[in-house]
Amino acid sequence: MDFLSYLITGLGLGSVYAIIALGYTMVYGIAKMLNFAHGDVIMVGAYAAFFMVGKFNMPAIVAILVSVLVCTLLGVLIERLAYKPLREASSLSVLITAIGVSYFLQNGAQILWGTDTKIFPTLIDFGNISLFNGALQISVLTLVTILVCVVIMIVLTAFINKTKTGKAMRACSEDKATSQLMGINVNTTISVTFAIGSGLAAIASVLLCSTYPAVNPTLGSMPGIKAFTAAVFGGIGSIPGAFVGGLLLGILETLAKAYISSQMSDAIVFLVLIIVLLIRPTGLLGKKISEKV
Amino acid sequence: MSNERLILKTDNLGIDFGGLTAVNNFNIEMKVNEIYGLIGPNGAGKTTIFNLLTKVYNPTRGQIYLDGQDITNESTVAVNKLGISRTFQNIRLFKEMTVIDNVKVGLEYSQKYSLLEAVLHLPSCHKAELAIDEMAHSLLRVFDLDEFADAKAKNLPYGKQRKLEIARALATSPKLLLLDEPAAGMNPYETKELMETIKIVREKFSVSILLIEHDMKLVMGICEKITVLNFGQVLATGTPDEIKNNPEVIAAYLGSDEEQEG
Amino acid sequence: MNKLKAAFLGKNKNRSICVGVVLLAYIIIEVLMYTGSLKSLFINLLVPVTSYIIVALALNLVVGVSGELSLGHAGFMSIGAFTGVIVANVTATFIPNDVLRLIVAIIIGAIVAAIFGFLISIPVLKLQGDYLAIVTLAFGQIIKSLINNTFLGYDASGFHFSFITNKVQLASGGKMLINGPIGATATDRISTFTMAVVVLVLTLLIIFNFMNSKYGRSVMATRDDRIAAQSVGINIVKTKTIAFVLSAGIAGAAGVLYGLNFSTLVPAKFDFNQSILILVYVVLGGLGNMLGTIISTAILVLLPELLRFLADYRMLIYAIVLIIIMIVTNNPTINNIIKKVFKKNRTEGDHNDV
Repeated sequence: MDFLSYLITGLGLGSVYAIIALGYTMVYGIAKMLNFAHGDVIMVGAYAAFFMVGKFNMPAIVAILVSVLVCTLLGVLIERLAYKPLREASSLSVLITAIGVSYFLQNGAQILWGTDTKIFPTLIDFGNISLFNGALQISVLTLVTILVCVVIMIVLTAFINKTKTGKAMRACSEDKATSQLMGINVNTTISVTFAIGSGLAAIASVLLCSTYPAVNPTLGSMPGIKAFTAAVFGGIGSIPGAFVGGLLLGILETLAKAYISSQMSDAIVFLVLIIVLLIRPTGLLGKKISEKV
Repeated sequence: MSNERLILKTDNLGIDFGGLTAVNNFNIEMKVNEIYGLIGPNGAGKTTIFNLLTKVYNPTRGQIYLDGQDITNESTVAVNKLGISRTFQNIRLFKEMTVIDNVKVGLEYSQKYSLLEAVLHLPSCHKAELAIDEMAHSLLRVFDLDEFADAKAKNLPYGKQRKLEIARALATSPKLLLLDEPAAGMNPYETKELMETIKIVREKFSVSILLIEHDMKLVMGICEKITVLNFGQVLATGTPDEIKNNPEVIAAYLGSDEEQEG
Repeated sequence: MNKLKAAFLGKNKNRSICVGVVLLAYIIIEVLMYTGSLKSLFINLLVPVTSYIIVALALNLVVGVSGELSLGHAGFMSIGAFTGVIVANVTATFIPNDVLRLIVAIIIGAIVAAIFGFLISIPVLKLQGDYLAIVTLAFGQIIKSLINNTFLGYDASGFHFSFITNKVQLASGGKMLINGPIGATATDRISTFTMAVVVLVLTLLIIFNFMNSKYGRSVMATRDDRIAAQSVGINIVKTKTIAFVLSAGIAGAAGVLYGLNFSTLVPAKFDFNQSILILVYVVLGGLGNMLGTIISTAILVLLPELLRFLADYRMLIYAIVLIIIMIVTNNPTINNIIKKVFKKNRTEGDHNDV
């Protein structure tokens, strides 16, 4: 029974990682860059929701919507100002720029809102569900988190496969130059990708902070690294891969914390990652890239 | 079947990529020091065969024999050590390195010194480097590239890049040199020069040469034997005259006499 | 005289310029220190800056020369640092001479880091591109976690070790070498600027000699074109392993210098952020450009200190400056201007239109 409880908690954590990982993987697939600042966009989203409830006494739903809006705009703004000028640059240069953006967001947050840890307000509180005569307690928040993740997964997959914008995104991820020749507006497509990824980041931040309510300027750092790891683990550029990678990572982390050691849980998760990549060198669901000779 | 020494022999070599058979029943018998041509329309599988011979791809079926030795299961690196060297259809130079360094990379095998000797630049390393340097310069001189020795490979004009690739391939002292469209992008003057260079290379380095080419003047001019490939299979094998007059080859690839003067 | 001349020819030119710049800076700084013109703030930064330059050079060997992205190099620095602390403490009684102790610590620290580098390279070099990078990140995190959970003490009866929970019991006169997350405390600060510069000069000589040797050429060939490298007989894995292990060893040496410069040292200091910082130094200085790395690291490490007057805003300005530099140096218009101004290494006709 304990195992089942941990499994569900792990799925909850993994769902958050999966939603964040989607942002990394989509941007990588279409803009071919690692958006290092993605984790910090999450942080901004958390602060936005925090202030909506704390300072402006807005209801939860408004706070969430504002957070999504702020993150979406932030993501698009960052793309236009910092990444677009480097479209033709090496991926390493873009990575360094993304690092600069990350520092900017973290330090900006520090100046604006201080380094002290604020407590995230309770937005979703429906208590626990009791199963098996009280032997299994599942927090409704965890269930909501998992549900949100599944819904996002379904909607996003449908969007990518069925809509015109989705098709444009898939075309850009294959070949930007040809897409442009076919009349696809690559700039808009990339902006939409960042917008979606960042909007999802806001949702992830609300879910994350509802479970772990500490809000400070570096809150996005570790989840960002882990979600990035999950995205690569699942196969960078693959949307189902981000989903699978995120969930597995969450489960692994929770189980490692529960059964081995909470101090070593990170190391264990990374060790498993290494082993998996050795077996499947392009991630769980990643495509094997063959070079033409 | 003659008792002549065969530098290259394949036995029903073939490869499938998933459901697609790219090459099938490829047989070749190449004599030592021969200049042999491999021609055929685009997509016929010529480069694929080069990739098979150099083990960039693993064959699905068949055997490859280099100078009598079965190399079917060797790695690319092992095949090079055993004596096959190549150039590539889309030039693959070490772009950020200098012209002379590109050649020196091929000469590494000839001088052995340890990492420790290298990082401390001990006299043994210094001596070895001088030897490599001299060999590299003399190799560049054969191709009139010595004056560009310290230029970055990517800054060379196209024709010289192709020559550099051949020089680099020869640096490993191969028995068999595979040239993939060495005349691509060259004007008639450069092509004529290349034909002479290839003949000189064969004499000077005692190397057998198998080349892929579309330029018929070059192929008919220097090849002693030709295999024509179509849709991954051998269409015909013979001397230039035999091939020129083979009706199937003409139909599939060469066209009539007038069209050949291109 | 001829030997001096030869030192400035061709390949040796870059090596000599780098060493020359370092020695010149050293002399100037020593003179300024002697005349009391340097602020203590700056003096305290001398060993750290030099350590970072050495790590950055080591990373450039992997990222610039070998062409692989490593996101965990702080881990090798960490191994070196804590190994150095252990060695320095343990040998304190029978090697009373500080300089000698430091040298021994550096040598052992570098070797231990190199061994780890070799072990890590086995899985790492089975992968390519971003997947390789992620595994280096993973190892960096694992190293940090391992040291964070290590409790190592030393007393008259030898070493005492426990993992995750502190069960180490020391006899009187014993010392806690690594105290879990608290790390190393009460370390003798035996690193000196002079020794750091010596290690830096040695590092430069080693790296340049490596690059100008057949080992360096093989690595660069592998970086430029993997398939072509194999076609001339280069063993890709062996080649990249050599560069990676050498890099790890050098990073370890830098770590020793760094670790023995502070009386306290926490494992958390050598985290992902640190690895990323070093990467920024390398990229900004130019991949494969050793002189660039020296200059960019020196500036970027000192910059936050120089910007102290900006108080809270200095890291923000730092970030903005970083972004602007990246945008400007990758701007096609500016690159074209630079190309026209520095028109060396051009041969007649530049038709790279295949």
